[in-house]
Amino acid sequence: MNEALRKTYHEELDGIREGIVRMAGLVSELIPRGTEIFLGGDLSEAQRLIEEDDILDAMSIELEERCYQVLALQQPMASDLRAITSALWLNAEIERSGDLMANIAKATRRIYGITIDPRVRGLIVQMSEEAARLFRLSIDSYAEGDSGLGAALRDIDDRLDELHRDTIQAIFETHKDQGYDLQAGVQLALVCRFYERIGDHAVNIGERVCYMVDGWHPEHTGALRANARKQERADVDEGDADV
Amino acid sequence: MTAVLVVVAVATLVLAVLMVVHAERQRGRVIRRVDRMTADLGFDHMPSVSPEESVARLATSLERWRASVVDVAYERRYRAALEAIPLGVIVVDADRNPLFVNGAASWFREGRHSEAVVAHAVERLITRSVSGENHEETVQLYGPPRRRLHLTAAQIEADGTSLGTLVLIDDVTEQDRIDAVRRDFITNISHELRTPIGAMSLLAETLVGETDTAVVESLAERLSREADRLAATVDDLLELSRIEHGGDGDFEPIALQSVIAVAHDRVRSAAQQRDVEIGVTLPEAPLMVHGDRRQLTSAVFNLLDNGVKYSGSSASVVSIRGRLVGDEIELTVQDSGIGIPRKDLDRVFERFYRVDSGRSRSSGGTGLGLSMVRHIVANHGGRITVESAEGEGTTFTLQLPALPPPDGEEPPDDRSDGDMDHEVNPA
Repeated sequence: MNEALRKTYHEELDGIREGIVRMAGLVSELIPRGTEIFLGGDLSEAQRLIEEDDILDAMSIELEERCYQVLALQQPMASDLRAITSALWLNAEIERSGDLMANIAKATRRIYGITIDPRVRGLIVQMSEEAARLFRLSIDSYAEGDSGLGAALRDIDDRLDELHRDTIQAIFETHKDQGYDLQAGVQLALVCRFYERIGDHAVNIGERVCYMVDGWHPEHTGALRANARKQERADVDEGDADV
Repeated sequence: MTAVLVVVAVATLVLAVLMVVHAERQRGRVIRRVDRMTADLGFDHMPSVSPEESVARLATSLERWRASVVDVAYERRYRAALEAIPLGVIVVDADRNPLFVNGAASWFREGRHSEAVVAHAVERLITRSVSGENHEETVQLYGPPRRRLHLTAAQIEADGTSLGTLVLIDDVTEQDRIDAVRRDFITNISHELRTPIGAMSLLAETLVGETDTAVVESLAERLSREADRLAATVDDLLELSRIEHGGDGDFEPIALQSVIAVAHDRVRSAAQQRDVEIGVTLPEAPLMVHGDRRQLTSAVFNLLDNGVKYSGSSASVVSIRGRLVGDEIELTVQDSGIGIPRKDLDRVFERFYRVDSGRSRSSGGTGLGLSMVRHIVANHGGRITVESAEGEGTTFTLQLPALPPPDGEEPPDDRSDGDMDHEVNPA
């Protein structure tokens, strides 16, 4: 009986892990697809992408409920507990990344008919590729339990941040030449921001992998610093009181 | 006498008993032996009570063993056949447990990124197939690389019982590409021919009955231009056809410097009109190839012309550099213009392919230039590659087999870019 229960428990853990990877796979595909739709001004495909975001939402809810069930019924401990709580975090990060691509599809409608400067188009393509690469790396780190890769994503994200700055600059340098108004320029800037946010979500996923594998999270370092400062202040206050 | 008879009778009786016991023992040994053979076959482990029963059990077991050997042989044969099919084949049982996945379908089993999308689609299709719904689905993967997969599912049934589901995965990416090339070629060539013909027809209609000399002159000039445009398209098509078939090229040792000088001269006027500077960087020593002068000049001219046409803003530079790398000559033509979108890079060498019909047709040309360049380079045993980024420009790189320099001459220096011997002929 215990053997059967343990088998079911591990099957559940594997199922949750597989669900995360599968959802992430759908989002990985959305990034280049959404970019192509945006640059091509394809309204019907944009509509399709927006509707398909509902599928991701449904998957996210189902995965979340599975995690709660395991927590409630199996009461996992140690690394298993970290795996389930991390899955809940990753679920949210992946679902949010999908939402960002749906936002880009909506932006397709808002700037429909506008000719985007080739330099800006090229930079958007580069941002899309870099965001997709970061996202795939983050899922690789999760699937392989590679905390080293997870920790490296923060530095790898620097390239995307740089591209973001370059693209914003290019948008505002070229909007007059291309004849679109500031409002359209703002929309383009927002699209770039969405790619940059996907990169941030990938970094978050990497950090969660570190926590899942090593029990360490960057916030732990921050917390240690905060506690050290608090202790320092307390020591100083105590010293002043003695005086 | 009586005593002797009794002794003989007793002895006979004893002997008979012994013979019966011996026979029974032999019988038991036979039964046990046959039962052991039956057990070894793995189908029946029950002890028999008679030789007839043991032999019957053995015969049944032998038959079952024979059937299993045949089944294994069949299964091995069918597995080998399914592995040989270029399609992905997946078989699941009625409970959706995987029974068989061939090599062509195993790539997505890892289930990450694009593979996860395929796994999801396969499960969805199996669900629909089991419930009697749509049995087909097409999955477009953006990767990279881009792939398009056509999935088909069918129920496996025997005697009205569902045994499971068969799913086939067909990668139709290459077929799509070929269909797109064919379709676009027909569309583009129709447009290239129909547009001037339509314009000529309209102009001719307008000319009929027109008496104003100035108007007639203007219309006639436009008619002439359209006729020239049509003629240029036809000439280019014929030229391309000639080049594609290897042509009747006049191959001889040629210094690329002379080819580049002629091509540069031809494009100079267009470059000046667009305020584009052409920078040429070549070594002093000749870069020798075995080639057809006319074809090579056409190839270099087309690359320079493209660079000038798509330079975007004024005061930009198109640079052409040549150098010897090992036993090949490397020629690069680079511009800092509008660039080519990533999705079009694989197709720019197709006949009549336009990256963007609006921008290409306004720049003029027939859309055959790069196709000609590709075939010319192939005719000379070389290869051509292109790198580009939108808004940053494009670089075409040609590699051609080099001829050794004429006797007594040093081979050209193959130092890297930025360290060439001299620059010539800025526009």
